[in-house]
Amino acid sequence: MAFDAEKEITKLWRNLHNAQSEIQRTWYRWRQAALDGAGSAVNALEVSLKAAEVTGKEIGKGMLPRLNWLKGEEAWLMNLANQIAGQWINHGAVVTVGKGEQPFEVFIKWERCPWPTFAKEYGVRMEEDVLCCDRILQSMLVDVNVFFNVHYEIETLKAIPRGEGVCLRRLHRVKQGE
Amino acid sequence: MVKQLFEWDYSSYPGAKRYPHLFKPIQIGNLMIPNRIKYAATEDNLNTHDGFVTDADVAYIRERAKGVVGGICTMQGVYMDRKRQGQGYVGQAAAWDDQFIPGLKRLADAIHEEKAIAGFQLMHCGRVGAVEVEYCQGPSVVPQRLRIFRPVQEMTREDIKQCVKEHVEAARRGLEAGFDVMEISGIVGYLVSNFISSYTNRRKDEYGGDIRGRMRFAVEIIQEVKKICGKDVPLGIRLCAEELLDDVRGNTPEESMISYQIAEEAGVDYISVTAGWQESIVPVISRDVPMGSWIHLAKRAKEHVKVPIQMAYRLFRPDLPNKAIGEGALDMWEMCRPMIADPHMPKKVLEGREEDIRHCVACNLCLARLFRDAPMTCYINPVCAHESDPRYASPPPAEEKKRVMIVGGGPAGLECAYMAARRGHDVHVYEKRKELGGEILEASKAPYGDEELMTCIHYQKAQCEKAGVTFHLGTEVTADRIREEMPDSVVLATGPTFSKIRTKGGDQPCVVNVLDVLSGKVQVGEKVVVWGNRKPGIGVALYLAKQKKKVTLIGRDRSAGFDINPSFKWRYMIYLAQNGVTLYNDCDIEEVGEGEVMVKTYDGYRFPVRCEHVVVTEREGNENLKQVVQEEGIELFVIGDALVPRNLSSAVHDGYRIGIRI
Repeated sequence: MAFDAEKEITKLWRNLHNAQSEIQRTWYRWRQAALDGAGSAVNALEVSLKAAEVTGKEIGKGMLPRLNWLKGEEAWLMNLANQIAGQWINHGAVVTVGKGEQPFEVFIKWERCPWPTFAKEYGVRMEEDVLCCDRILQSMLVDVNVFFNVHYEIETLKAIPRGEGVCLRRLHRVKQGE
Repeated sequence: MVKQLFEWDYSSYPGAKRYPHLFKPIQIGNLMIPNRIKYAATEDNLNTHDGFVTDADVAYIRERAKGVVGGICTMQGVYMDRKRQGQGYVGQAAAWDDQFIPGLKRLADAIHEEKAIAGFQLMHCGRVGAVEVEYCQGPSVVPQRLRIFRPVQEMTREDIKQCVKEHVEAARRGLEAGFDVMEISGIVGYLVSNFISSYTNRRKDEYGGDIRGRMRFAVEIIQEVKKICGKDVPLGIRLCAEELLDDVRGNTPEESMISYQIAEEAGVDYISVTAGWQESIVPVISRDVPMGSWIHLAKRAKEHVKVPIQMAYRLFRPDLPNKAIGEGALDMWEMCRPMIADPHMPKKVLEGREEDIRHCVACNLCLARLFRDAPMTCYINPVCAHESDPRYASPPPAEEKKRVMIVGGGPAGLECAYMAARRGHDVHVYEKRKELGGEILEASKAPYGDEELMTCIHYQKAQCEKAGVTFHLGTEVTADRIREEMPDSVVLATGPTFSKIRTKGGDQPCVVNVLDVLSGKVQVGEKVVVWGNRKPGIGVALYLAKQKKKVTLIGRDRSAGFDINPSFKWRYMIYLAQNGVTLYNDCDIEEVGEGEVMVKTYDGYRFPVRCEHVVVTEREGNENLKQVVQEEGIELFVIGDALVPRNLSSAVHDGYRIGIRI
């Protein structure tokens, strides 16, 4: 049977990359539409952060059926971190997950991320990109925390849009009283 | 003084001798129940959308009341709040106002007319409720895992007090309507279970905390409803013996047993044992769970409480509860689905007519329909939910006796045959094989409980024999035979034709038919491609994967199992993954080559898959013989997969519909 693997993979790859780019473009097109609709009085960052919050909450809800406690909290946490990473991997980022030194602590590292490139392309400030990612990540955890009756937080230690080479985030259990 | 409502003497019945433990009386509270049989409360979505009882529901429940032969027949759980947050099903009966009493009375009267004991159930659906309103109620705001359910509003103390009061008021209405047994639903994710479970109850007040705190709501309902029931009306509760919610930090089995003890202390007269929630990821009642798997839960309950223990959950055969009762592991046999499939099931057991039982195949179509706001339907029982329509449920004899030739002895043909014969026709079934059953003979070889599908054929065969159907086995019907016999009607129930792979290499010997593989006529190699991602493909893929073969399932449907109802389909998806079956949906076979096939995705990508055999499961309608029947001017019906390839249910329902129409 005639089969040119390179040709098939090339086709597939090209379409995947186009689809990934459309995710970012769509975000920024809708951002512009929202700002145009809202008029000049509105603060662009507030609109973006609201969109980030809605997005994060939606992603968090979507995670609930795929997370479970059967193998204990550490396994649950790794699963959660991998699902978070998976969201950005689907967009074209390169993301890895590693256990921290403390119990119930993981680090998620973005070695490459397409979002800052598109922020630049659409004239959006780099800091907005960082803050939107933060808001998405924090909003994801809202329902996850309530559903599993836990208290986890995520904090940004480094960010590509801030010129720090990678995005590094710490996902960790908050001690009682914190 | 023990109260007895109806006199029943089972001593002369063969079933009472064969299953003595099922047909001996039991005292529950102050009420003597003549036997150990109970139709458990089951939603049917047959009532009006504002909660009034319909003729359809009365007819439905009357048949089940006949079936329990003096036992308990429980109507569906009622919702009790005017705001309808407790309503979990669009056709659920209501009891939040006295205006509902006349309808409820019709149900109680229908049950009593069949000399059965009328059970009334109070069911606030809690977390899975509010089907018609925006927010459901719960002890705490725990997000929904399944998006089809409404967001949760946390109940205040006032809401809780109001809810307890609504239970009492609804119970009063049930008593006024004439019901004899009162039951609280505390299972599967409904409100009482939401309070009991550590998964959904995060309250810090007196209604939360440890299991005693989480049981407080249930206890208040039990105590208040008990007061209104008095001594003569037993009060029961359905409670989870195992929530099967370990994945979301639900109760432990030990906590569940404590909840049983607390319920008993609060005053219940019986407990109905259940397992799992609607949100559980553990299969509980589907066909892949062997019958009798949950009896240990009843036994455990018996070890923890003294009140009678009832249980349903995969007890589809009378020998199982009979043995469990005899061994002291159970007190009463509950049924939902077995009596959806055959409302007279226990009656037939009593009368020694087990061959007449139409067995449930545990497909959960009934549940899938309810969750999607559709009226109850049974996969295997075409009459279910049509009991109020006499022309459908008990069709009159045919006006003109006809000689009917049915071509094909599968489920469609057999269903049609006995119904037509019962109506007075002279019915002949022609089957080219020497055995009845059609493709079910092979389909029942698939793993995960599919052998239960054969119960349908056994039932139909028995009914055909009793109705006087003539079988012509090993007889292939040809055009000449039709012309020779010239029947008045021909029913083509020949099953489908299997599609050909109409591409290069599709006619090679390595391309084999699913029926030949499942029947063992053809042995396949270690690497197999199955073509067709509906149930026949999934069944044979799992059959081969169980033999440790490397199976790739390729199909044109966008998602596999399109023809399997959603309440069961998720099980198959898990089994495919567990058995290492590679699944390519939205794909077709472009070419069959030497030791491989070329797969083409819907959008044009191509990739090869190594295999030694290709098993064809894709099917098409069967047009054979249609032309000759039409040319001869004979009345023609085409049913089952011969018309459009679907599933067993469609075959049975097609057969029934034509059987009552010829």
